[in-house]
Amino acid sequence: MENKTMKLVLSGAPHFVTGNDIQKTMGMVIIALLPALAGGVYFFGPRALLVTAASVVSAVAAEFLFRTALRRETHVTDLSAVVTGMLLALILPVSSPLWMAAVGSAFAIIVAKELFGGLGGNFANPALVGRAVLLMSWPAFMTRWSPSLHSAAVDVTTTATPLGILKMGGAITDVMKSVGASGKSALYLQMFLGNRSGCIGETSGLLLLVGAAFLVVTHVIDLRTPVAMIAATFATSWLFGLDPVFSVLAGGILLGAFFMATDYVTIPVTPVGKWVFGIGAGLMTVLIRQLGNFPEGVTYGILLMNVVVPYLDKIIPHKFGLVKPRKVSA
Amino acid sequence: MSLKTFRGGIHPPENKEWTRDMPIERIPTPKFVVIHLTQAIGAQNQPLVKVGDRVIKGQMIGDVQACPAATIHASITGIVTKIEPAPQSNLKDGMAIFIEGDGTDETAYMQPLDAFVCSHEEAIKRLRDAGVVGMGGASFPTDVKLAPAADKPIDTVIANGSECEPYLTIDYRTMMESPADVVEGLAIAAHIVGATRAVVAIEANKADAITFIERQFRDHAHGIHMEIALVTTKYPEGGEKMLIKVVTGREIPSRGLPFDIGALSLNIGTLKAIKEAFADGKPLIERGFTVAGGACKTPKNLYAPIGTVIADLIPDVIQISDDVRKVLFGGPMMGVAVPSLQTPIAKGTTGVLFLTTAESRQYEERQCIRCGRCADACPARLMPMLLNAALLSDDLNRADVIGLVDCFECGSCSYVCPARIPLAQRFKLGKDLLRSQRAKEARDGK
Repeated sequence: MENKTMKLVLSGAPHFVTGNDIQKTMGMVIIALLPALAGGVYFFGPRALLVTAASVVSAVAAEFLFRTALRRETHVTDLSAVVTGMLLALILPVSSPLWMAAVGSAFAIIVAKELFGGLGGNFANPALVGRAVLLMSWPAFMTRWSPSLHSAAVDVTTTATPLGILKMGGAITDVMKSVGASGKSALYLQMFLGNRSGCIGETSGLLLLVGAAFLVVTHVIDLRTPVAMIAATFATSWLFGLDPVFSVLAGGILLGAFFMATDYVTIPVTPVGKWVFGIGAGLMTVLIRQLGNFPEGVTYGILLMNVVVPYLDKIIPHKFGLVKPRKVSA
Repeated sequence: MSLKTFRGGIHPPENKEWTRDMPIERIPTPKFVVIHLTQAIGAQNQPLVKVGDRVIKGQMIGDVQACPAATIHASITGIVTKIEPAPQSNLKDGMAIFIEGDGTDETAYMQPLDAFVCSHEEAIKRLRDAGVVGMGGASFPTDVKLAPAADKPIDTVIANGSECEPYLTIDYRTMMESPADVVEGLAIAAHIVGATRAVVAIEANKADAITFIERQFRDHAHGIHMEIALVTTKYPEGGEKMLIKVVTGREIPSRGLPFDIGALSLNIGTLKAIKEAFADGKPLIERGFTVAGGACKTPKNLYAPIGTVIADLIPDVIQISDDVRKVLFGGPMMGVAVPSLQTPIAKGTTGVLFLTTAESRQYEERQCIRCGRCADACPARLMPMLLNAALLSDDLNRADVIGLVDCFECGSCSYVCPARIPLAQRFKLGKDLLRSQRAKEARDGK
């Protein structure tokens, strides 16, 4: 039997692929960010959702319009722009003007990502580039912090982040006062739960770890970079005579380690490179915190390491068969 | 028994449940066969017959004075009607001998030969005369494989019962139905190379074959130490490099051969063919293969003469749905998509898969997002994303430095890639380009 009209597809092996594509991967990251976003709403009010919506809509629109204008195929359904928009929103203060969030994510998408060829072509983390640009352009908005709605501290409308308090010469007891904690362990607990001032999604270590655990279990992220970054932050802080636990819980270390230093495109692909990247990011973060003008250094710490990725990618592992020939006994 | 495995690999859907319980079914002798002159890695054969000749089942009809090369034989008795190019499952569409059967069952096999009594040269000649080749797909002449250089002794011979390609169950069925032949063939192979140890490697999902095989060790080991290695169900566990590493702990050196580490592996069907070549004097003229796929209404295991044309089996032996969009010779990971159902079964055909439109879906290639899944999956421990980047920028030298030729095209990287990059396909092409560039450089005296 030869059906004359039968048209057979010819293609090279392999003929099957997994169902796991870019869209599914990005979808997993979005799911993993939801606990942190929910925490942002809980600690800082529903405005957190508005900022996130502005950032996400702007990111998606920017990608769609830019690629359409350049007559390139649009890929907004791969959800990568949604991830960038969400990540940027989570590292903004809740009081950020909506237009500012929108400008930041449009910049992140167009300048940091699309100008370098779109998803896969960018060398720097788009969300962090967006944040860096906003921090330079509108520093007042970017450092206007609201206290947690559930803080036991005195009723204030603006406050400083734990790292900000230290930068302004405050002591750790001032930080305790700001979150209404009576002792060190109470401070750690409040910070781990997220009941402190900071960016929308960075405050709760607990919720970030829940999201990260999901990504680890589903094999979306590799733990090498986050573990190295957290360990380097811990060690470097300790060398500077700081409270290492506080240093890891404060600022954006956990968000940065699990969600920025795991961004496939902008971290090394090689195993050794991943360790070096994480260590470098943690080290730079603490150096910036201690020696720089900014209270927090995660953004620049990771961006600086993004730049050296091509070098780290040269440290390729030993391939199969790279062994000494076996001595055959006669 | 602890499970052994290698680093990397993937777990595609096994899809073996359709055929794993289907006994191997011998098809009625076909009315005609199309036997390609050259079916193995090596030199091109010359026909030993001409149009109009009567040939007898088992008679040698193609040979060449060269090494490596594998002889071919008439798989049915009848008349040579034409000798001309025909669709071939390696897409080379080489010359083929068309034989029209006369319905008789006459055979012209060789005399049986006792492999444990005859000389090494006689044994190697027998394998060559019987046209035995690796039947797992690569079709490397077995007589060459079993005659390594004198300074590279083999101590371990492995029966490759891992059958890690999805869908295929023919090796499993052969182990279940002809375990004595498999073990006898293994003993013969081990004896020929002088190995003292023979290992039957079986994937965990086929563990029920172990007792069938083990039971034969008593009568068919011929003094060779025989054992079972239970290995994990993972693709490409049956890859030669992987399997030898798993069983012996030795790694075939980059650009080396199994000889270099004193071990070799043989496909289950090949072992049965080795046994038949000696005990029955029967050349490799028939083989088993799995028929399956979403568009195959009658998934089963068949045993057919080499040269049986697939279209000839439809609809009496195989029924397919109207939704056939792709026909594969071999498994879905390393099999070849053929353009025509007029393609005949070859010595290396492990299965014929009929895939539906949904199973034949083509994907749009996106830019690499550097997720690293390909590197996690690569059993050769390469960095496919970096090889891809090098090849996309036409940097063949860089690709060579980071191990392009160590890729053995298992396809694991392409399988896991979320950006749907045809990595293995690109590497195959890249290897060809690199080979021709190196050949050109050699010619230019660089």
